[in-house]
Amino acid sequence: MNNIYRILLLGFLLTSCEKVFFEKDLSSTNARENFEYLWNECNEKYSYFELKGINWQAIKSQYSSKIYEGMSDDSLFSVLGGMLTELKDDHTNLFSNFNVSVFGVRYLGKDNYDGRVLKKNYLSDNVYRTGPFLHDFIDNGQIGYIRFNEFTGTVDSVNLNFILQRYRNTKGLVLDLRENGGGAVTDIFQILSRFVETKTLVNYSRIKTGKGHNDFSAPQPVYVEPFKGIRYNKKVAVLTDRGTYSAGSFTSLATKALPKMVLIGDTTGGGLGLPNGGQLPNGWTYRFSITQALSLDKNPEYEKGVPPDISVLFDWSNLTKDEILERAILELQ
Amino acid sequence: MINMKYILLLFFTLPIIGIGQKDTLVNTSRKNLRKNMPSYINISAGKSRSSFRDFGTSPLTYKGTPNFIAISRSRQNEQKEFEIGSFYSFGDFKVDYNEHKSTSKLQSLSIYYSQLYRVKKLSTEKLTTKVGGLFNTTGNLRNNASLQNNALGREIIATLFGSAKVSWDISRNQAKSKKILFFNYHLKPKTRHLDYRLNIGLINSALRNGYAYIGQSSVLNDPKVFEGYKYNLFSGFRLSSAVDYTVLLKNNNSLQLSYLWDAYKTGGKFDQLEMASHTIKATLMFNYK
Repeated sequence: MNNIYRILLLGFLLTSCEKVFFEKDLSSTNARENFEYLWNECNEKYSYFELKGINWQAIKSQYSSKIYEGMSDDSLFSVLGGMLTELKDDHTNLFSNFNVSVFGVRYLGKDNYDGRVLKKNYLSDNVYRTGPFLHDFIDNGQIGYIRFNEFTGTVDSVNLNFILQRYRNTKGLVLDLRENGGGAVTDIFQILSRFVETKTLVNYSRIKTGKGHNDFSAPQPVYVEPFKGIRYNKKVAVLTDRGTYSAGSFTSLATKALPKMVLIGDTTGGGLGLPNGGQLPNGWTYRFSITQALSLDKNPEYEKGVPPDISVLFDWSNLTKDEILERAILELQ
Repeated sequence: MINMKYILLLFFTLPIIGIGQKDTLVNTSRKNLRKNMPSYINISAGKSRSSFRDFGTSPLTYKGTPNFIAISRSRQNEQKEFEIGSFYSFGDFKVDYNEHKSTSKLQSLSIYYSQLYRVKKLSTEKLTTKVGGLFNTTGNLRNNASLQNNALGREIIATLFGSAKVSWDISRNQAKSKKILFFNYHLKPKTRHLDYRLNIGLINSALRNGYAYIGQSSVLNDPKVFEGYKYNLFSGFRLSSAVDYTVLLKNNNSLQLSYLWDAYKTGGKFDQLEMASHTIKATLMFNYK
């Protein structure tokens, strides 16, 4: 009987002592510990080392030599942020309360959008703003122009119904995704569901499943299903440039499988990996890509940018014309 | 091998406890005893001091003081007791380290069922020892916006515990009068008991995120809540204990004050979750039979 009470007494003493069972406190401002933690997280989970030909081990050697005892947070941020920038991926960032690291893929290409040129030469004073969309008739009321500059997550059946109803008698639509840096994935499928008549396979996706740089799940199909309601079945020109990123690139990738949609402008910025999120031992946070979107032939190459079907660049010597929009109007005739 | 030990222990101990009961009930109508078992509806509220660490997203420990509410139905007498119930806790958990603050909003729901049987050899007139089991399933939903696409953390922890409970009858059977300095006071007879219960996880399991933590269902246009999750059986650990002080009121209802402790760590190949909570709660036990 005494043994039972000893066990219970031991149990009582263990109460409040969960630290006995848990791992030690890992919070740390030590520069090297934070460097190792971040490098290792990327090493085990980042999804584009092979495609981009990145030697992550060599980058470790390069940046590890910049770590020294007693370095300031600002200096440490420069080293860690610089290391992440080597991934050349705008889905990869380091966040602190004094700085955010950004690669800036949009600056790899030419600037292909000027809102002032558009407003002055193509849009009326009666431009509509419906939800996240700005839209108007162009080309003497023959074409509907829809500007969508961010996937806000607020695209819904009400705003899309209104827009598609308004432009139902046009020859075609222009969906302008230039300088659209992405956002909510749900918006992609809300929009695309209005431009398909049957369930359509648009691309594949795979996710990291192990520490190896090429450990991925089997490719999973991505389908777009037609919206049960107002749809638009004429031609749609989607305008893109290097600033079209993430959800913008996903949408551009899907258009490759949709014959009534044509991509016009410049190659997109990529960003076809779904980013994760995490925290370092010093409290800073980070994110990087952990999936790959694949084309219909199961190729991840479009991470480097989805190429346009019709390549056109903005001519900055003539600010009375938007060459990319002009080419779209021509395509929709 | 250790897991097999747990299973064998569970399968062999519970039936023995059951057989032991049969012996003690030989001369009493079982049906009658069951019918006359005092039954309670218990409503509790309390406050916890809790912490968790999800290695899938952060090596830092988040701490908070969530609120705690619970409801249960219990039936108990000298020989056995049953309880089925649910508790819900909710609140903000924070980490404030190196001048960086993050907040995780946590909601946790547990559903449990417990059976305990008196062990005659370990019981006396004033002290009752009961052993048995407890099955508890806890679901957590955590939201930490600073973790970007990994903001939502969710898991289900299901545990079968082996339990032991000791109850001390600390009733005051006779009225007492005392004087402290110039003050006289009278203490009336009171029925009350002090309980200590320890639950040790025998079969631990958890439904947790897969390797990449977040799933890819959002980009597949096929959203799923537990996409990529793995169910790990026979891994991790969980321990919990409770100290209850119960006073029987005049109307046969009871008032109970408790301290609860619960600690668990998930197992599996991927990043583990550690969570611990210390709760002070008050319970109104409404007797309805």
